Amino acid sequence: MRLPFKFRSFQTNVALAFVLVILMATAIMSITSYYLSRDSVQSNTQSYTTELVKQVNKNLKSYVSGMLYISDLVAGNPAVRQYLASDAAAGSAKEAELKRNLEDFLESMLISRTDIASVNVIGADGRLVSGLRDQSLNPYTDIRSMKWYRDAIQAGGANVISSSHVQPIFKDRYPWVVSLSRALMSKDGQLSLGVFLVDLNFSVMNDMVKDIKLGQRGYLFIVDREGKLVYHPQQQLIYSKLKTELIEQVLAVQNGTFTSHEGSESRMYTVQDTGFGWKIVGVSYVSELVANQDRMRLSFVFLGLVCIAIAILIAVYLSRRVTRPVRQLEKYMKEVEQGNFDLHVPVPKTIEIGRLARAFNLMVGRIKELMRETIAVQEQKRQSELSALQAQINPHFLYNTLDSIVWMAESDKPKEVIVMTSALAKLLRASISKGEELVRIGNEIEHIESYLKIQKMRYSDKLDYLIEVDESVRHYLTIKVILQPIVENAIYHGIKKKRGQGWIAVTSEETDADILLHVEDNGGGMDEETLRTLLLPTARRPEGKGVGVRNVHERLQLYFGAQYGLSYASVPGEGTKATIRFPKKTAAEARESER
Amino acid sequence: MPRRMRKFGWAALCAAVLLGLYYAIDRWTGPDPVRIEVVIKSTDNSMDFWKVIHDGVRVAADEFGVEAKVTGSLNEADVEQQIAAVDAAIARKPDAIVLAATDRDRLVPVAERAAKRGIRLIILDSGIASERAISTVSTDNIKAGREAGAVMLEQLKGTAGPSKVAVINYMSSAASLIAREQGVREVLQGDGITILGPYDAEGLQDNAYEIAKRVIREHPDLTGIVGLNEPTSVGAGRAILDLGKEGDIRLIGFDSSMNEIKLLERGVMQATIIQKPFQMGYLSVKAAVDVIRGGPGSVPKFIDTGSLVITKQNMYEEENQKLLFPFYE
Repeated sequence: MRLPFKFRSFQTNVALAFVLVILMATAIMSITSYYLSRDSVQSNTQSYTTELVKQVNKNLKSYVSGMLYISDLVAGNPAVRQYLASDAAAGSAKEAELKRNLEDFLESMLISRTDIASVNVIGADGRLVSGLRDQSLNPYTDIRSMKWYRDAIQAGGANVISSSHVQPIFKDRYPWVVSLSRALMSKDGQLSLGVFLVDLNFSVMNDMVKDIKLGQRGYLFIVDREGKLVYHPQQQLIYSKLKTELIEQVLAVQNGTFTSHEGSESRMYTVQDTGFGWKIVGVSYVSELVANQDRMRLSFVFLGLVCIAIAILIAVYLSRRVTRPVRQLEKYMKEVEQGNFDLHVPVPKTIEIGRLARAFNLMVGRIKELMRETIAVQEQKRQSELSALQAQINPHFLYNTLDSIVWMAESDKPKEVIVMTSALAKLLRASISKGEELVRIGNEIEHIESYLKIQKMRYSDKLDYLIEVDESVRHYLTIKVILQPIVENAIYHGIKKKRGQGWIAVTSEETDADILLHVEDNGGGMDEETLRTLLLPTARRPEGKGVGVRNVHERLQLYFGAQYGLSYASVPGEGTKATIRFPKKTAAEARESER
Repeated sequence: MPRRMRKFGWAALCAAVLLGLYYAIDRWTGPDPVRIEVVIKSTDNSMDFWKVIHDGVRVAADEFGVEAKVTGSLNEADVEQQIAAVDAAIARKPDAIVLAATDRDRLVPVAERAAKRGIRLIILDSGIASERAISTVSTDNIKAGREAGAVMLEQLKGTAGPSKVAVINYMSSAASLIAREQGVREVLQGDGITILGPYDAEGLQDNAYEIAKRVIREHPDLTGIVGLNEPTSVGAGRAILDLGKEGDIRLIGFDSSMNEIKLLERGVMQATIIQKPFQMGYLSVKAAVDVIRGGPGSVPKFIDTGSLVITKQNMYEEENQKLLFPFYE
């Protein structure tokens, strides 16, 4: 499968790489931090609950230890023992005194203790002495049937802490209290002399825990040793079975945490044993933690997306930045591709691309130099070939002409001698010229005219000629000595082989860009084979024939290009027509191009 | 350089916009809290019954994550004030109103107004003469009356001869009391017991006291009195005490108060049938929440919050203490 064009771009790849790396980094970081945060939220919730429960425990204990302290003071106080142990009859003066002493002592316990509702001593016969002197007993309650009383007797001298309950022992008072009761034992520890009771206002505990919230719906409750609820915010709902609480499981746990399996209503219980029989239980709803988790997960996903969006922006920007010098270099390379070597790539700061640009500059410079050298060598070669070709002047012609002049002089034909000699002189001057490559067509025509004049005098009746070249073409330039070899060829291979009168016509033709010079004769013509091989390069044609003609063709091509040169048309027995084609070029243009 | 700065500026702007969007969405998508208005009969702090209802409302509101505002007339007799309180509640556009009507008929128009605004109506404790309420959360008073009758029957088993029981009503127009009387009558008449009354105390404890005294004098063979609510029970108790008839005449009351507890302790009153106001408060809010979240079909037309027979023997039991001696939170 081929990648779409877009994905083959360097910049896209770099950007994609950036995005992928950042995406992976973001994903890994998000996921990791999500799980870490989730765990920490969970453990925070747990440790927060544990801490809270411990704090409540500490506060509860401080109240309870206050009661225990009072209990120890009372148990060790002689006034208590004296009163309980005395056998003074009720209502007697001695009993009243002992009672007063005890009341004074118990009253002193209550001073500055708003948390304590009452401190009392109950005799084995049901007599009650209270620190609250002005309170009278509720006549309709039997103290000895009270649970706290029975529990104290049963415990045999140990402190017993009750659940929260209504204390009805005083007339018209029904306070909610937590009771600490303790049987006061005789010295030998066998007999119970009475029971000591201290009531703690339950409201102090209630106030402490009522505002505690664990999350949205979580709560805290306290349960006593027997599984009775000391405090529960939904106590009434539990009593009427609208709600259930996992009391048995709580009682089975000493300290620690467990989770109920109630589906979406699962609760996490954190149990703390107070050490005096109660257990404090913090209850949090698992679904709330999950709800927080959902919210957290959403946050992480969203923040992750934001990060990725920013990352994509940065990636696009960075990839553009990284690939900019490369794209610049590419642009310059394209220009070089189109043949412009005259450029210098600015070297960017990036080390690698800088090296590349420097190397590129060096390379372009080197190519430019090599090309200049090649052109120079070619030019040199062409020059030397050209001059080598031009140097060829037929010595036979010179010899024969001079011979004709001698012969005419001997025949005493001074006029002819003069004409021929001056024609020869003109011919030589034209062919030697000033060493310039290009001559005006006019010069070339003068040259061929001189040549034809000489040849006509030599062949007298056998040759006639016609030169018809427009004045308008005469000022164009051409390379020199192009007509003479063709005319020479026409005379020696055309006219001379024919019987009777021969003629040669030199005419001109002008197109938009080119000039055509025609040399026509009525000589013997050429067969097709000769015509075909006439203009072939030296190596591929039979020896000797038409050296001059080929020379002209090659020179024209060398100088003007391959599309120019010589062409022949011939009909055997009727004549031949040679056409020279070369571009229009004036002296001014020639000077221009040389510059 | 400025070009680069500009790009960073764009990136920062994008980031800021996205973050802003995030927090905005976060805030806006927070659930719109369900709001419930609870209009009770008495906001007087000395009224235990309504304070416990208030507690129940609060516990339910916390548990279900709703807002519950409790208002009402200061005094149960002030019907105009309660109508104004309901109107004020309607103006706050709650999702539901829980109403404990002070008057069966006079609160009908305001309940209609609430219903017209699409506010769900739940009746708490005492209803109105209208079918607008989606659900009624209260004690099943006929059942409570039957319980009272059953306890009376139990108490009369020890007495010799034919039994004669007087029933003292507090207000002859009160639907709940009529229902209780009906329940008591059902049970006692079924057992061939003569029923005197119901006598109307016309809203005064002292009237109940006088009526009880008169009935006791007029009917020396009277074996029992049923007080249909707290003042009538206490009034009858006082009469029995004053005439030295404690033990001779069985007294069964309704509701609870310090005076009733004393009567129980002294053995003047053999039992009282108590309601469960905490459950009323809790269950009425729960019903409102269920209706709002689950539609009208999700709650029964009537929710009985239950009643309990309290005697001297069970009054200090753990589960009854909270009902008899409310502990406000």
